[in-house]
Parts: sequence; C-alpha cells; structure tokens
Amino acid sequence: MPGTDRLVELERVSKSYPAGFWRRRVGILSELSFSVGKNEIVGFLGPNGAGKTTTIKILNHLAIPDSGKVRVFGEEAGQSPEIRRRIGFMPEQPYFYEYLTGGEFLRLCGHLYGMGRGEMNRSVGEMLGRLGLAGAGGKTIRKYSKGMMQRLGLAQALLHDPELVILDEPMSGLDPMGRMEVRNLIRDLKTAGKTVLFSSHIVSDVEALCDRVVMIDRGKKVAEGSLEELVGGGGVQYVELVFSPVPSPARLAAVSLPPDAGSVLGDAYVVKAHDTEEANRLIPRFREAGALVRSCYPVKKRLEDIYMERVARGDGRERAVPPVGS
Amino acid sequence: MPDRILSIAANTFRETIRNKIMYAILAFALLVIGLSYFLADLSVGELTRIIVDVGLACIHFFGVIVAVFIGITLVNQEMERRTVYLILSKPVRRWEFVVGKAAGLSGTLALIVLVMAVVLFLVHRAYGGRPEAGIFIASAGIYMELVLLICLASLFSTFTTPVLSAIFTIAMFLVGHVSKDLLFFGGRSDVPAVRWLSEGVFYALPNLENFNWKNEVVYGKLRSAGVLLNAGSYLVFYGGAVLLLACLLFARKDFK
Repeated sequence: MPGTDRLVELERVSKSYPAGFWRRRVGILSELSFSVGKNEIVGFLGPNGAGKTTTIKILNHLAIPDSGKVRVFGEEAGQSPEIRRRIGFMPEQPYFYEYLTGGEFLRLCGHLYGMGRGEMNRSVGEMLGRLGLAGAGGKTIRKYSKGMMQRLGLAQALLHDPELVILDEPMSGLDPMGRMEVRNLIRDLKTAGKTVLFSSHIVSDVEALCDRVVMIDRGKKVAEGSLEELVGGGGVQYVELVFSPVPSPARLAAVSLPPDAGSVLGDAYVVKAHDTEEANRLIPRFREAGALVRSCYPVKKRLEDIYMERVARGDGRERAVPPVGS
Repeated sequence: MPDRILSIAANTFRETIRNKIMYAILAFALLVIGLSYFLADLSVGELTRIIVDVGLACIHFFGVIVAVFIGITLVNQEMERRTVYLILSKPVRRWEFVVGKAAGLSGTLALIVLVMAVVLFLVHRAYGGRPEAGIFIASAGIYMELVLLICLASLFSTFTTPVLSAIFTIAMFLVGHVSKDLLFFGGRSDVPAVRWLSEGVFYALPNLENFNWKNEVVYGKLRSAGVLLNAGSYLVFYGGAVLLLACLLFARKDFK
C-alpha cells in the first residue's frame, strides 16, 4: 500500500470465545493481519462464519482480542473513545430503539457524537433525505421495513461526517434498487475523500466497489490485494470457442482435443482453450473438420473464481472445472 | 454530568416511560392507594394512620417491582437486542453507558414515587388527615432504597441472565432488610469467628433498613436531618461502589 496513510492496522490478531458447558475457548480469528489506507474502499470478503463480524467488532472495541495489535488512526483501538468520533459504524442488521422515531434516534446519535444542536438538526435532515427517509423521520422505528432500518443504520453511521466508515454487510436484506443505492453511496464517500471498509459475503458487491480486497476464511486471511493483483496480469482464465455445425465423431477425433475439453451445446460445439495461442491452433483444425468458428472470446478470471479457489482450497470443496491444458 | 450520560439517561427515561407495563403497574398502585380507605375501614385503629401505612407499603412494593424487573433488563436487553453496538461504537465510555442507564431508570422511579406519594398525600387529606410532610420524607427513603436496588440490578445484569439477575436482586432486597439482625445475632455468639463473619457479611450486604422510615412517619415522628444525611451518604458510597463494580465488569465485556 505505497503512498497511503494507514487508518486501520491489524497485526497478528487472534480471538476466541468461550463456548459450551465447560466454557472451552473456540478460535474465531487466527493471527489476522491487514491494513486499510486512506481514501481506499476495502472489501472484507469471506463466507458466513469466517470471522468478519468479529474483526469489525474488534475494530470498534466491542470485542477485545486475545492477542495481536489493533490500531485505528494510529492509536490502539479502544484506548480513546474520541477516536470513535472519526469513525462511522453500521453493524450487521442493525437493531434500534423501536420506541423512537427515526429522527429521534438520529438526534440521540448526534448527542453521543457531541454534535452541536444546529449542526445536528441540519445533518439529521440531510441524512434522512439522502437515504430516502425524508418522509419517515417522524415515524416510529417499529413501523420501519427491513430496508428502511438498513438505511437508518447507514444514516447514523454517516451523520457526523466521519473520516472512516466501517460497514458490516451493508447490502444485506436490500432489494436490487437498494443495493445499487448503497453502492453509489459508498462510491460517493470515496469521492468525498472518505475511507470505507465494508464486509460482505457477496463477491459481486466487493468486485464492483473495492480498490482492495481482504479475503478471510475460518478466521485466517487467505488473500489480500487489489483486484488486479488478485486476478493476475490480464486475468484471462480461458478462451471459449463456439463452432458449428457439430463435427461428426470421426472428424472430431481428427482434431485431437484433450479429453473433456469440448461439449455439444444445441447445434454448436463449445471448446475451452487454455489461451489464445491454443485457440488459434484449434480454429484451422475445426475448419478442416467442417465446423466454422461462430464466436471466440476470452473468459477473464473474476474475483469470484479467486474466492472459490481460495475458500474451496481451505474447505476441501471441489474447484471449478479446469480449462483445457490445465 | 457529561452530555453523553445525560443523553443515555434521557433515552432510558423515554424508554421506560413509554413502557406500557409501567403504566399498568402505576395504575394498579394508585388504585390500591385510592382504595386504602376501605382497607382502613375494615381494620382496627386510626383510619388516617392506616391509610398512610398501607399507602407507603404500596409505594414500596410497586417501586421494588419496577426497580427490579426493569433494572435487570437495563443492560441485558441492550446486549440481547444488540442496540448496545450502536451506542458503544460512538464516543461513549462503557461506564458512561452503565451510569446513564441507571440514572435514566432512577429518573423514571423518581417520577413514579412522586406521583404515588402525591396521590397518597391527597387521599390522606381527603379522609381528614392533617397535612403530612412525612409521606414525602418516607417516600424519599423508599426512593433511595430503589436507587440502590437499581445499582444492584445493573451490576447483576452485566454478567448474568435476566432470570438470575432478578433472583440475585430480590435476594439482596430480602437480605438487605434483615442484615442488621444478622449482625445482632452474630454479635451474641461466643465464637469470635462467627462474630467477625456476621460483621463482614453485614458490611458487604446492603442495609436497606437505613432507608426505612415508614413506621416513624405513621406514628408522626419525622426523621432528623442527620439520619437523612446518613442515609444519603450510605446510598452514595454503597450504591457508588456497586455501580463502580458494574462499570468495571462491563468495561471488559466481550460482545459476541
């Protein structure tokens, strides 16, 4: 992370919780290290139960690590509550005081952030409007839908214009339109010079937004880097070729494809070539077999493939079908 | 009091005051106070004195119900509902949260005890009793006891379940009214260890009889300022120590 100030730093952080009748400690995080630089959007990606929420709780001093160092804005997390004035945090599926109205709750948050009355009232109105809750500020939270609660959670996190925004599963429970709005909001935060760390188990959300990704599984970091770094140079996974008509079995044998490299799909024959060189070698051979190329396109490696590789490797689950030649 | 404690206290006050169960308890208490005339009519003795006696017992009983059963949920409910995440992730110290919650419920109880005391005062007057300031003094004693119970309930709710918190707090309430007897009987023992033990237990357990001035009020004897000051100091030191312990335990609390 050259040339960036580190707003969040975790160094070999481990965490366990007592569980069961004998209160034996069960490990949640194991020597987790990563950092978040200024004005970055960092996606914290991992399957359910990987330890994302625990990590985020540690950053907000809601959980205390067994070992390791956690620094936020260069200070040890939890040492000074004043640091939290510079952070906006939204927990996963936030719960609110249901007897309050949305406006009352935001004003309570404003008081706790130490905002002045004028600044608070202005900010509450602005946040309610920005998050599509302008008409719901006077409604008790008990009557809010799940999506409205999520928006209110975002509003309380952004109310005091924090430098660092930490969001735990911000898209959870939102419809496609709501997810799009949250994505835009996160992008706007970056444009405004803010730093965002958000957790998700939805790869496409992370891929669409993040400058960098930290991937964890079962409490351990399995990958960290920018999208380019993670998917590799160019990122071409294989080249898909579609030929038609389907060659006869005898002619197909003459092409001498590796076993399982091609398959019949309707009236076409689909082949996965390892790279463009191999694709160029295959095209004349298929033409000789009486099949013309209908389409040819490189399938790029995506974050989801990396996620499946890294997480599946740790889990013993099967990996994606390998392309020709691999 | 820092603004953050005030904000948390005000929110707790608002939460408890919007709790419908609270109104049910208050309505029932006021009904009992209002009907104390009929109870007094059935009893042998001075009518107005029995009204005060029954009324103060009623304030005490219903006050304890509110203090214990809302007190035990103060911190615990915030953890169960995870609303605590939203509060403690802001620039709020954990002790400010515990103190704010206890202060908010103390405010609610002050209002409830005051309403009940005023109603008792009016009922007493309506049935020919002379203006009795002692009702308010005895109610102040009851209120101090309730604040101490809130501190105890807050302490238990930081480390155990609501059911166990309720059991512990009620046990403290019961023992708190006989702790002086423990000291008395222990002091009569010939075995020094028993005497020391009874003394140790007496100082460790709350002495809620410090706040019990109901009998004096019923018999028209007002407590001296010295006794009131003594009770107030006891509340500040014992209640403060209990709340301090609650804050220390809560400061190391891990939220799963």
